[in-house]
Amino acid sequence: MIERVRGLSRAAPILLIVALAIAGQAPDVGWLRAATTDSEGAERMTSVLDALADEPLVLIGFDPDVGTYAEIRPTVRALLADLLARDGRLAFVSLTAEGRALASAEIARLGRGEANPTRLLDLGFIPGAEAGLVALTGDIRVDEGDDGVLAREVEGAGIAAVDAILVIGGIDLGPRSWVEQVIPRITEVPLLAVTPTVLLPEVQPYLVGGQLAAGLITPRDGAAYRQVLELGNLERLVEPIEPRQLPILVGMLIAVAVLGQALASRTLAHVRSAGSRSVG
Amino acid sequence: MSRPTITALVVIIGLLLLADMLVVNAALGQVAAVAVDAAILVAAGAALAGVGALGARRLNDLWRRRGDPVGAVMVVVGMAAMVIAGLRPGSTGTTDPAVQWLLAALLIPIGATLFGLLFVTTLGAARRSLATGSREGTVLVAGALVTSVLLVPLAGPVGDWLADAATWSLAFPIGSVLRGLLIGIALLTAVYAARVVLGIRGADD
Repeated sequence: MIERVRGLSRAAPILLIVALAIAGQAPDVGWLRAATTDSEGAERMTSVLDALADEPLVLIGFDPDVGTYAEIRPTVRALLADLLARDGRLAFVSLTAEGRALASAEIARLGRGEANPTRLLDLGFIPGAEAGLVALTGDIRVDEGDDGVLAREVEGAGIAAVDAILVIGGIDLGPRSWVEQVIPRITEVPLLAVTPTVLLPEVQPYLVGGQLAAGLITPRDGAAYRQVLELGNLERLVEPIEPRQLPILVGMLIAVAVLGQALASRTLAHVRSAGSRSVG
Repeated sequence: MSRPTITALVVIIGLLLLADMLVVNAALGQVAAVAVDAAILVAAGAALAGVGALGARRLNDLWRRRGDPVGAVMVVVGMAAMVIAGLRPGSTGTTDPAVQWLLAALLIPIGATLFGLLFVTTLGAARRSLATGSREGTVLVAGALVTSVLLVPLAGPVGDWLADAATWSLAFPIGSVLRGLLIGIALLTAVYAARVVLGIRGADD
């Protein structure tokens, strides 16, 4: 019996992957949905974007980490497409190595999607994390080989040319560093954020306090934001398939079952031991 | 460098950056920019040194036939592939298609997969923490259980209710506990930094 339980434990990860794969192939069901009917985060993001100037120049601090990027990737891609659909000009900068790798991949993807190259600027990687952020508020260095209009504007005016800052955050570097190092050094520029849920406790007070103008922090906020987007022919830049909810549900139910079983066993053992003590 | 010199440097640079943030002065700004640039260069150098040390360590492991040879080979081959792809003659660096392929086809999926393994290891850790019989472990697992139920992506009124409850729980109980922890850590860091700067040491230092 014990051997059978051990064998099941060893096979559990493979069984989990098989279950998720089957759920991933199953057709969508109507009773599952990621977005909520009303999302304050999505509404705030849309209203801040609506209020931006014409052809806004948006500085994108692209520093997600590889582990959690899968959670925010559909929302990030939708937001980039939305900014481009609003005639936005996007300047990407990264302060972490992982962020740089992901930014590089996303910029290449936008290129493959035939996004207007005159509206994209790659400012590359700045080492030093917080020190790099402080340096960004002084002057922004552009690749010498880049002589586009956007590059010259950013190099000439620095961060003063920026109409909004969008932080794609991760565990290593997120909106907190931008709020602490950049916002006190520049004039009023709305700071927007997309981060994985794990950063919510850190980011939430900044949203309430107004240091962050808007944020898409939870998958539900992201899904609600994506649901109302109208991108026209830039629809090609978003992920073609929304995250499937059935595999997510299966994973969550497995987690709930495992935790619930362990908790119930623990409670039962506690009650038994209490009972035997009272009898004794 | 002696400890008082380091302390003096920390105090001077800290005050310089603080003054630069509070006072608009071109000369002060230029001096502060030099300090910031120096910090950036040191960080870049440290990052490069870290990568170099990792490569050297793994090569040394292979040479001396110790440790995990498969892991060492993977690290060295991975580093070599990325360096060759990015620095070979004619390469465009980080925007080179070979670098992009290595990132998009290997690095990012492997990183995400490793993070995905946390699902299994976290559940295992939760069960083990319950097995120890600690009250903290029980509370932790019960909290995780409730949060997982609230995040189930159901549609309709039940889904809306769960979403509202999840938002509330993330914003208030969970958020406040974690914010409390963050504030506590920040206070502790500030106190420790002040003790270092002022040269105050405990009896056990």
